[in-house]
Amino acid sequence: MGGDRRTALEFRAALVALAIAALVPAFVENAYWLGVLVVSMYFAILAGAWNLLAGYTGQFSLAPAAFAMMGAYATGLLGNNTGLPPLVTIPFAILATGAIGLALGRVVLRLSGPYLALTTLSFAEIMRLVASNSINVTRGDLGLPVTGLFQNRIGWYYLFLGTLALLLVLLYFLLRSRAGLFLQAIRDDEVAAARSGVDVVFWKTVAFALSSAACGLSGALYAHFAELVTPDLGTVGQTGLVVSMTVIGGMGTLVGPVVGAFLVYLVSEWLRDVGGYQLIVFSLLVIAFARFFRSGLWGIVTGLRRQPA
Amino acid sequence: MSLLSVRSVAKRFGGLKAVDAVSFELEPGELVGLIGPNGSGKTTLLNILSGHLDPDAGEILLDGAPCHGLKPEALAKRGVMRMFQLTRLFRRMNVVDNLLVAGRALGLDAAAAAERALALIEELRLTAVQRLDAGQLSGGQQKLLEFGACFMVPPRIALLDEPFAAVHPTMKEIMSQFIRARHATGQSFLLVSHDMPVVVELCPRTVCMNAGQVIADADTRTVLTTPQVIEAYLGGEAA
Repeated sequence: MGGDRRTALEFRAALVALAIAALVPAFVENAYWLGVLVVSMYFAILAGAWNLLAGYTGQFSLAPAAFAMMGAYATGLLGNNTGLPPLVTIPFAILATGAIGLALGRVVLRLSGPYLALTTLSFAEIMRLVASNSINVTRGDLGLPVTGLFQNRIGWYYLFLGTLALLLVLLYFLLRSRAGLFLQAIRDDEVAAARSGVDVVFWKTVAFALSSAACGLSGALYAHFAELVTPDLGTVGQTGLVVSMTVIGGMGTLVGPVVGAFLVYLVSEWLRDVGGYQLIVFSLLVIAFARFFRSGLWGIVTGLRRQPA
Repeated sequence: MSLLSVRSVAKRFGGLKAVDAVSFELEPGELVGLIGPNGSGKTTLLNILSGHLDPDAGEILLDGAPCHGLKPEALAKRGVMRMFQLTRLFRRMNVVDNLLVAGRALGLDAAAAAERALALIEELRLTAVQRLDAGQLSGGQQKLLEFGACFMVPPRIALLDEPFAAVHPTMKEIMSQFIRARHATGQSFLLVSHDMPVVVELCPRTVCMNAGQVIADADTRTVLTTPQVIEAYLGGEAA
């Protein structure tokens, strides 16, 4: 099936799923489970943003959770220090994380594979340690209190759902555009892309900036939802969850990471009683999907066959 | 003015002189064969001409303007298109999208690029597989697809590195016909090939390299009877 038609089909499926999701609060009144769904959508936005970079552009960055953490601190610190409302501080967080992503993208331009992964992982850990140790600014591990937005979780549910829908719509139009064509070309073969006239440096940087900005947005929303930001938001474990969600759901597919985010987070809630064992389960699933089902659950459902890279 | 001027270009890899003071000119509309034994520096020279390697010395002029040191994407935009010896494609993108990448990157709008891609697909007889991902094609079809991508926007010069290697005779003929037809309209080519009958048939002029140096540059029949070429490349002793 052609790439465009495949993406169009996925997009229609996503719209149906989002329409069904919009009805959920009518049936789920329990605040705890609404909260679980909100956090699932936080991860779905992160997984979708990371998928743009890793799944569609082939840049295996390991810093999505760090960018979410930076977005959370950006909105929290600006709001706390200036009294500006979230309507101003959240866009600031998007711009700030987008700019940092752009700078990081320029630094790691020549790197690929394990070198890119290790460099971005180091960057993520440095950012987390800076947040953790800048006690005078961030209050370190005590956490930074952030103002809330809604009195009940239904407001949060629809804000996250709307943001997720917006992300999917933007991703869909990006993928169908000239930019999407170039990003996927870079993923498959940078040398062939450059030979074809694609400005590889420019488009890789754009992908880093957009993905980081979307992670920053997700983190900023989460900060106001949780009303607290801690460095734990940017741990390697959180990035591991985002990677698991994307790989299990279907890397390089529009809907897969969203499906993966809901599945992994909901299952992790159900498995909460078994503690650390849930991580073993997810790790084994990631290995199994990476080895046997490279197009993920979404690929299995849609019958998509992935050629070996 | 020459279309392409290669002047004293050199490239070393450690102690190895891969390209050693190579000079030649290519006029607009010329179809020049580049032959030589394995390791003679042909692909290294093509890598320099297409911007994938920087030369250590010498200069390259395209339409009289220096172009050495430019990146591959910049050279592609100036009309230097390169086909690789080992096929390089977008394996997870379908045949049409593979062609669209070059079309869109080189300035065609969506409709013009789609029209051009479909015309090329038909000319290269890839219609039956146009919706398949490039990674699902046979080796020969992949070669044809990469070959076609070089012509999404007619280049100033097409640098073709072994387009006929390991390709079925039918597909080889499709490419040969394509090259003949484009050459007749003034398209310039630099064609690297070990397929001597095809070089003789297609290329009025041939450059032969050995050990990084140009050892012959003349009309193809003259080159193939040059004692140095016979000794270094074609096998046997010079008379």
